[in-house]
Amino acid sequence: MATFNMQKQININVLLKMLAGNHTLSSIIDILNENKIKTNKQKAIYLMHRLRKKGYVKTEKLSNNKRVYNISFNNKLKGFNYYDIINENSPIKLAIHEDYKIYGKKKSLEEALIYALNKKSVRSLLAILALFKKINNWSLLYKLAKKEDLQRQVGTLYDIARTIIKTRKMTKRFRNLSLPKKTDKFLYMIDNLKSKDFKDIEKTWKIYIPINKIDMEDYRKW
Amino acid sequence: MVTIEEQEELFLDISRKLKKKIICYAIGGTAMMFLGLKDNTKDIDLVFENEDNRKTFMKALEELDFKKLDSMILYGKKPNQPELLKRKEQERIDLFTPEVISFVFSENSKKRAEKTHQFGENLIIKIANVHDIILMKHATDRAKDITDIKSILDSEKINWNIILEETKNQLSLGKQRAALDLGLFIENLEIIGIKIPKDFSDELFKVFENQVKEMKKRKDKIG
Repeated sequence: MATFNMQKQININVLLKMLAGNHTLSSIIDILNENKIKTNKQKAIYLMHRLRKKGYVKTEKLSNNKRVYNISFNNKLKGFNYYDIINENSPIKLAIHEDYKIYGKKKSLEEALIYALNKKSVRSLLAILALFKKINNWSLLYKLAKKEDLQRQVGTLYDIARTIIKTRKMTKRFRNLSLPKKTDKFLYMIDNLKSKDFKDIEKTWKIYIPINKIDMEDYRKW
Repeated sequence: MVTIEEQEELFLDISRKLKKKIICYAIGGTAMMFLGLKDNTKDIDLVFENEDNRKTFMKALEELDFKKLDSMILYGKKPNQPELLKRKEQERIDLFTPEVISFVFSENSKKRAEKTHQFGENLIIKIANVHDIILMKHATDRAKDITDIKSILDSEKINWNIILEETKNQLSLGKQRAALDLGLFIENLEIIGIKIPKDFSDELFKVFENQVKEMKKRKDKIG
């Protein structure tokens, strides 16, 4: 009982800082012991209970039935992140950067797609291909893409997605309005990065594609 | 006291009343709550880029029954005081534009505000970086500000170079007392047992000395 009382003395903010990130119960025990907080399974569960009560813990179950705890102050905030939407809908998961939270709005796949496209990372581009499976508000997507001048990039990703997954059908209006004109120059999705695959799609949209076919392995298993 | 949940609700209510999209910056206790450094705050501090945006925001607050207060009560004769609005005995909101008493919320400060929270369609709040929170806390210099700085220093890794560079930047923006005021504030922190790196204090003193020399030179030229 004495040790139990001692645990109560641990400042919740210090605990949060120490354990921020993704953990299993055993990694939590290891970290606490490394930080000279003597912990066994029971104590670790109690400390997790304290963090959960404050709203800092989100739990996920893996396929092997193991629990993974995401510990972060941001879990307390009610809003959502565009990465949450992508991770809920894609086999390729993205590490959540808590740099943009949204409150009081409906989760929009279209907004998430444009947000991730702007991040200019290969993994983000791969992850958002899955969103075309559910995207059906093409007029909203066109409006958002036009605002950022990304219509051709969206069209390119849609055509790539169709090579590997079943998607909703893009409207003719979106396609016709987005296809490049003769005078348009080739553009990079990610600066100076292009693959040897998807040459037809590259020519159609005049966009250099940074994705290789081999990068899409996760979609084959999906 | 406003909790994080109440603050979120309030920002959503404000967003629903706003007639146009507004970007502002959370500073002080509000920023600290978004960064997980505080559980509640006495007042909500926001900085606006221009008067027009502040007026639009104030209009939304007035529609939510907030009433204007005299800022002299809280800030005395300090310059660049905020507009203060309060609803009954609940939350008080301080609206600055873009100077926070003796601190200019500079372009660098805006760049450092990387975390963003969007409420509904119209309200986008960027969260000031901890370094700027410290600098602004010294500018407002209210009773609770030292406690807040202590809790920031206890839990965040501070790059004192950023604070030094921003102080130089404030000098270049015409805030002649920036180095002196920060130096005095740092001394107060040390008195209550907060450790400040000696290198930083020495560098800050050099900046102050150079500034005095420059001023003397200018005075001699005029004289």
